[in-house]
Amino acid sequence: MNQVMTEEKLKTELLTLNMGPQHPATHGVLRLEIKTDSEIVAEVIPHIGYLHRCMEKHCEHLDYRGIIPFVDRMDYLAAMNMEWGYAIAVEKMLGQEVPRRAEFIRAIIGEMQRIASHLMFFGTYAIDLGAFSPFLYAFQDRENILRIFEEVSGARLLYNYMWIGGVWNDLTDDHLQRIALLSDEIEENIKKYHTLVGENEIFIGRTANVGIISTDLCYQYGLTGPVLRGSGVKWDLRKNRPYSIYPELEFDVIVGEGKKGQVGDCWDRYDVRMREMHQSIRLIRQCLDKIPAGPIMSKVKKVIKLPEGEIYHRTESARGEIGYHIISKGDKVPYRLKVKSPCFTHISVLPEIAPGQMIADLVASIGSIDIVLGEVDR
Amino acid sequence: MHNQILELLNGAVPGCNAILVPFVKQEGLGVGDDVVYVEAKLISRVCQTLKSAPQFDFNVLQVITGADFVDYLEVTYVLASFTKNLELLLKVKLPKTNDSSLPKVDTVTNVWKSANWQERECFDMIGIEFVGHPDPRRILCPYDWEGYPLRKDYKVQEIYQGMKVNPEHKMNFAERDFTNVQDLAFKEGRNVVRPELKGKQV
Repeated sequence: MNQVMTEEKLKTELLTLNMGPQHPATHGVLRLEIKTDSEIVAEVIPHIGYLHRCMEKHCEHLDYRGIIPFVDRMDYLAAMNMEWGYAIAVEKMLGQEVPRRAEFIRAIIGEMQRIASHLMFFGTYAIDLGAFSPFLYAFQDRENILRIFEEVSGARLLYNYMWIGGVWNDLTDDHLQRIALLSDEIEENIKKYHTLVGENEIFIGRTANVGIISTDLCYQYGLTGPVLRGSGVKWDLRKNRPYSIYPELEFDVIVGEGKKGQVGDCWDRYDVRMREMHQSIRLIRQCLDKIPAGPIMSKVKKVIKLPEGEIYHRTESARGEIGYHIISKGDKVPYRLKVKSPCFTHISVLPEIAPGQMIADLVASIGSIDIVLGEVDR
Repeated sequence: MHNQILELLNGAVPGCNAILVPFVKQEGLGVGDDVVYVEAKLISRVCQTLKSAPQFDFNVLQVITGADFVDYLEVTYVLASFTKNLELLLKVKLPKTNDSSLPKVDTVTNVWKSANWQERECFDMIGIEFVGHPDPRRILCPYDWEGYPLRKDYKVQEIYQGMKVNPEHKMNFAERDFTNVQDLAFKEGRNVVRPELKGKQV
């Protein structure tokens, strides 16, 4: 009798917790409004837009070459991949040939950028889960890559390197040799890092069977890239809708296998990225073997005017499929440019996977989808 | 592929008036994408048909985007099939309204869940109301922002929450005017000095 009475008097309610916008585990300025039931997450409401610069409006006033620095600033951790996708979309509509050497340089640089971006993921993910030193290891290797980028493009993060019709600067033989040495070094290091972090008992405990995204959920939300592959779907644009010189190169599409838990959990997404870096190194080596001599820039008209019509072209960026939808009216500025951002769709799945998780596991889930807020907000 | 889609749509969804607008290739220029237009009021059923058709299986909605063509608005649905490896640009035209109400189109959130955020962005940027959307809030702009930035006639509001937007002393319009600077450069084939730097040692 007594017990029943106390139960009736007890009032329970959900506690609202605010995470972000300035929170180290949200990788930028993402704000999550979390409704918690003790330590269990009941509901998550993401608030984005803190980095919104409305680049798409800017692009409507810029000529096609002038847009390249702007797409850099969207995904600032994989700027080369962003430029590459944009350049291909414009070239395709313009009917612009790209010299073969430039294609190889693009592939080398693009894959190096993918490694740099995945290393960044590796470091920050370890920080999210409470290990600090892997971050420093990852930055050492990333720094070596950025150093080469700085030499060839003049900038460390925002390059403006892949131009319409080719690339801005040539890679010298010295660069190619150093890239070969660097890829050997990075390959060794990634193996070490994986043993240090990926096989660590605590890391497995924090990530295995956490934040499981099923294949069906992936399709429902339109997830792409490593997140989709982590859920066991063999889909990679470099293989399935090949562009540039990828048809000539050999590599495997990495999928999550559920080695430590269920397929599609955080550990799988981590594992996919780590193994993808090995594939990227494999691609770089093939490119270094095959790279021909020749020009790096084809002849492009002084004023670029795209024909009237539209195009949607997507490429595989480090974070997923980046798509450019250009509507042209025949002017030298695009009438409308829409950037399909992979991270935007990736965040939209959070309210689906978060309920029922511990708050600490939510941090693991956010880290595992590897978001860059500059690209989400554009 | 596009003709089969037209056949399917016009058969399964009567009244949807699916028409194909092919990309017109010009001499010496490249190629773009062909576009399928359908009636706006049947978009939900069209999407459902495309998703459930086994020969196409458009299981992923990549993006929803709008464009302002001054007289009318256009919404583009980019569909993709990850099993059949297809891609489709589906479009609807919405006439602009004279009063302050927004052009309306049915939501497709019941077909793909990813439409939820995409439609919110489209509403936020272009100003299209998606009827039946479960959570029709702004997404990139602040929730109490006015106007739709990607409309061609957009003007930034003057005061936002008591603060002046774009205060005069912080603006430098000459520096922003990229198009004119480049026009001059192209026309006269010389390096252009910005107006405020004229006569100074640069």
